[in-house]
Amino acid sequence: MIHPIPFTLLAAVAVAAALGMLTSRNAVHSALYLVLNFMTVAVLYLVLNAPFIAMVQITVYAGAIVVLFLFVIMLLGADLLRGVTDEVRGSERYHRYLAVLLALVLLGVFGYLLLQNNFGGTTLSPTIDASPQALGITLFQDYLFPFEVTGVLLLASIIGVVIFGHTRKRGKENA
Amino acid sequence: MPSAVDINWYIALSGILFVIGALGVLLRRNAIILFMSIELMLNSANLLFVAFARHLGELEGQVLVFFVITVAAAEVAVGLALIVAIFRSKKSINIDEINLLKG
Amino acid sequence: MNTFSLAPLILYLPLAGLLFNGLIGRGIVDRNRPKGERLVGWLATLMTFSAFIVSVTLFISLATNGFEAWFVPIMNWITIPAANFTVNWTLQVDTLSVTMMLVVTGVGSLIHVYAIGYMHGDPDFSRFFTYFNLFIFFMLILISGSSYLMMFVGWEGVGLCSYLLISFWWDRLDKNGIPANANAGRKAMVMNRIGDFGVLLAMFLLFWTFGTLDYKPVFDGAVELYKSGQVVQFGGVGVPIATVLSAVTVLFLLGVAGKSAQIPLYTWLPDAMAGPTPVSALIHAATMVTAGVYLLVRSNVLYEIVRDSGALLFGLISTPDLVAWVGALTAFFAGLIAFSQNDIKKVLAYSTVSQLGFMVAAAGMGAYVAAMFHLITHAFFKALLFLGSGSVIHGMEHGHHEIAHGHDGHGEDDGFDPQDMRYMGGLRHKMPTTYVVYMIGALALAGIFPLAGFWSKDEILLHGQTHALLLFLILALAALGTAFYVGRQLIMTFFGTPRHAAAEHAHESPPLMTRPLVVLAILTILGGLLNVPYLTAAQAERHEMHPQGFWLLLEQWEEHSIPAIELSEEGVVHLPHTPVVFSPVVAGLSMLLALSGLALAYLVYKGRPKTYSEPDRLARTPIWWWSILPLNTLYMKYFVPWFNRFAAWLAFKLDGEFWHDFVHDRVIRDLFVNFADFSSNVLDAQGVDGIVNGAGSVTRRLAGVLRLTQTGYARTYALAVFLGAVGLLVYFLFMAN
Repeated sequence: MIHPIPFTLLAAVAVAAALGMLTSRNAVHSALYLVLNFMTVAVLYLVLNAPFIAMVQITVYAGAIVVLFLFVIMLLGADLLRGVTDEVRGSERYHRYLAVLLALVLLGVFGYLLLQNNFGGTTLSPTIDASPQALGITLFQDYLFPFEVTGVLLLASIIGVVIFGHTRKRGKENA
Repeated sequence: MPSAVDINWYIALSGILFVIGALGVLLRRNAIILFMSIELMLNSANLLFVAFARHLGELEGQVLVFFVITVAAAEVAVGLALIVAIFRSKKSINIDEINLLKG
Repeated sequence: MNTFSLAPLILYLPLAGLLFNGLIGRGIVDRNRPKGERLVGWLATLMTFSAFIVSVTLFISLATNGFEAWFVPIMNWITIPAANFTVNWTLQVDTLSVTMMLVVTGVGSLIHVYAIGYMHGDPDFSRFFTYFNLFIFFMLILISGSSYLMMFVGWEGVGLCSYLLISFWWDRLDKNGIPANANAGRKAMVMNRIGDFGVLLAMFLLFWTFGTLDYKPVFDGAVELYKSGQVVQFGGVGVPIATVLSAVTVLFLLGVAGKSAQIPLYTWLPDAMAGPTPVSALIHAATMVTAGVYLLVRSNVLYEIVRDSGALLFGLISTPDLVAWVGALTAFFAGLIAFSQNDIKKVLAYSTVSQLGFMVAAAGMGAYVAAMFHLITHAFFKALLFLGSGSVIHGMEHGHHEIAHGHDGHGEDDGFDPQDMRYMGGLRHKMPTTYVVYMIGALALAGIFPLAGFWSKDEILLHGQTHALLLFLILALAALGTAFYVGRQLIMTFFGTPRHAAAEHAHESPPLMTRPLVVLAILTILGGLLNVPYLTAAQAERHEMHPQGFWLLLEQWEEHSIPAIELSEEGVVHLPHTPVVFSPVVAGLSMLLALSGLALAYLVYKGRPKTYSEPDRLARTPIWWWSILPLNTLYMKYFVPWFNRFAAWLAFKLDGEFWHDFVHDRVIRDLFVNFADFSSNVLDAQGVDGIVNGAGSVTRRLAGVLRLTQTGYARTYALAVFLGAVGLLVYFLFMAN
C-alpha cells in the first residue's frame, strides 16, 4: 500500500494537470495536460493492483483518445481554436458564478461526507488476483453479454462517425 | 499522518478531479476542451471504481472500468466527428455559437 | 293445452274487428254504401258474437273443471326488477268474470245486430262500429283482468268509449245552438274522473299495503293480515288492516258512484242519452255502468272484512252499510226523478240509475249474488227497453219525415221531438212488435211475476228485509216508484190516442231491429230461472248438503268467485244471512207494490195528457217537486258556470296571461333571451373566449419568459443538469430524512 506522501505527490500532480487542462488557452496544451493527468491516474491504478486497467488507461486514454483530440485540433487548425475566447459578458457572469458556487457546494458535500463517514478505515482487503488472465475470465464468463453489447455500441459509433464524416460531393450543399 | 492511504484518500482525489472536470464543462467554450473535461470526469469515476474494487476485493469494479473506457472511446469518436461536422458548417467550435435550439 | 287457452281470443276478436273497421271501414262504407255497411256492421257483430262463443266455451270449461278459476297469462306488462314489481297481463277466468263475459258479449251481439239497422245511413257508420268493438274490447279487459290494475285499464278504456259514443254526434247543435252531445260527453268524462280518482287512490293504498294489485294475493293478504291482527305501517304509524280497507272500500265506492251513476255522481248518465240509442242500451244500461257493481262484487272480501271488523268511517257508518245506503237512496231518488221526465230515454236513464242503486244496495248488504242476478236480468230487460225506445223513436222520426215530405208538406215546426213521450200515444197499433216486447221489458222492470225482474228484485228485497228494515222500506218505495213511472211511460207511449201527426204516421221498425228485441224479450221472460229460490224451508234443508239441480243456479255458480262465502263458513268474516227460501210475504208485497204502482199510474194518466201541450197531471203535486233532486241543478247552475268561469280563468288568466304571456314570454323567454345574451356576449365573448384566449396569451407570455431560459447554449443546459444533480444530492443527503 502506498504511503501518504507519494500518494499526495501523485495526487497533486493529477490535480495540477487537471487544472492546467482547465485553464490552458491553448487546446494543444490542454490535451497534453490531460495526458499527464491520465498517466498519473494510471500509476494510481498500478498501486491499486489493477495492472490491466492501468495499461488500458495508457493505451486507450492517453494514447488513442488524446491522440484523437490532438488530431482533431490539428485538423481544424490550432490558430482558429485560439479565437475562442472565454471572456465574460453580461449574464455570462452569473452563469460563471453559479458554476463555481455549485462546484464549491459539491466539494463541500464530498468533504462533509468524508468527514462524517469513514468509508474504509485503514484496512484494505487482501490483494486480489487482478491479472489480465483473471480479468479476462471474469469478462468473458460473467460479463459476456455486456461485452457483446459493447461491441454493438462500438459498431454503432463507427457507423455514426462514418456518416458524420461523410461529405456530400454532389448536389445539395446545405449541411 | 496515517501509515497508508485508505479509500478516503481516493474518494477525495476522485471528487476533486470530478469537480475540476465539471467546471471545465461549465466554464469553457471550446468544444474540444469541453470534451476533455468530460473525459476527466469519467476518469475520476474510473479511479473510484478501481479504488473500491481494491477496497472490497472485488474484480467487478475493474470490469466496469473496462466498459467505461470503451464507452468513453466511442463517445469521443462520435463527439469529435460531431465537432468536425459542425466546424464544417459554422467554421467555429465555439460552443456558444451553436445555439440553434434557442427558444 | 285446454279450452281455457282460448280465453285471449275474447280480446283479440274485438281487437281485430276494431282494427279492421277503424283502418279501412270508412273507405269500404264510402265506396259502396249498402254493401259496405253490411260488411262493416256484420264483421263487428261477428267479432262480438265470436267472443260470445268463446265465452260459452269458457263457461262449459269452467262447469266441467270444478268451477275453479283459471289464470291465462297473455304477456308481461310492467317489470321493475329493482322494486321486485311485475304486472302481468293475465286473464282470470272464473265464474264471475265468465258471467260478465256472457252478458257483455251476448247482449252486446244482439245490440250490434240492432245497431246495424239503427245506424243505417249514418255518415259515420264505420266509426260507430269501431267504437263499439273498442268498447267490447275494453269491457272484456275490465272484467277478465286478474288484477285491479288491468281492471283499471279496462275501466278507463270503457270510460273513453263512453265519452266517444255519447258525443258520437258531437257536431250536432240543439235548438239553442249548444253542442249538447259534446257537452254530455264532457260531463260524463268529468264525473267519471272524480270516481277514477277514488279508484286510483284505493289502488295506491292496496299496493302500499300488499305490494301487489293482483286480486288473489290482495285478498289472501287481507285475510292473513286480518286474521293475525297485524298493522300496516304508514311511515311509522301502524294502522289496522280494517281501517286501511275502510279507506280502500270507500274510495272504491267513489269510483262506483262515478261509473255506476250513484249519488252524488249520477248526473252524467241521463245526459249520456245524447248518444245513439244502441249506445245507451249497451253501455249506459247493460254493461259499462254495471262495472261498478262488478268492482263491488269482485272486492267482496275487502268489504266483508270491513263489515266483520266493525270499523266505522269517521265513527259513523261502516263502508258496506254506506254502500247499501248510497244504493238504496239512489234507487229511491232516481225513481222519483223518473216521474218528471218526458223524454222516453231519460225515463229509462233514471230508471237505470235507480236499478243500479238496487244492485249497489244488494252488494252493500252482502248479497253479492243477488246483485249479480239483478245485473244480469237488468241487462236483459233494460237493453230491451232501450232498444224498444230506439225502435219507437225510429218510428216517430219516420212518421215525422212522412208528414213533412209526404202529405201536407207545410213543414210545421211545433218543437216536435221524436223522443218526447208527450207527442206519442196510441203506438200499440202502429208498432205491434215493439209494443209487445216493450210491454214485457216494462213489466219485468216493474217486477211483475214471473218475468226476470220480479225474481231478481224480489231477492234484493228479501235481503233488505233480513238486513235492515229502513233499507227495506226505502227499496220497497223505490220499487213502487219504479212501477209507477213504468206505467206512466207505457200509457203515454203506447196507449190512448196519438197526440201528434208523427205518432199517427209511425211505422214498425225493420226486422233487423225488432228481431234482437224478440230475443231479448225471451231472455227477459226466462231470465228469472237463473236463480229461483227454494220454495220451502224443508226443500232448502234437503239441498243444503248438496246444492244442485234447478234451484239457485246462479248462487251455486257465483259462489266459486266470491271468497267471502267460503271465509264466512270458516268464520273469518260473517257474511249477512243469505235467505235462500222463497218468502211469500215479501214476494206478495213486491207484487202488490208493482201492481199498485201500475194501477196508480193508470189512475193518474188514463187518457192523459190529451194534447202534447197539456201540463203533466202531477206537475202541481209535492211529489213532483221532491223528484227534482237538486244535484243536477247544482251541477248545471253552480258547478258548470263556476267551472266554466274557472276554466276561463284557467285558460285566459292562468294559461294565457299568466302562463303564456307572463311565465313563457316574460319570465322564461326574457330570461332565456337575457341569459342567451349574457351567455353570448359576456360568458362566451369574455368568459370562455377570455379563458381560451387568456390561456393562449398567458402561455405565450409565459413562454416568452421561459424561452429566455432556453438559450440554446449547451453550457446552460449542462449547468442546469449540474444544478439538478447537486440539488438532488444535497436533498437526499440532508433533507430526505
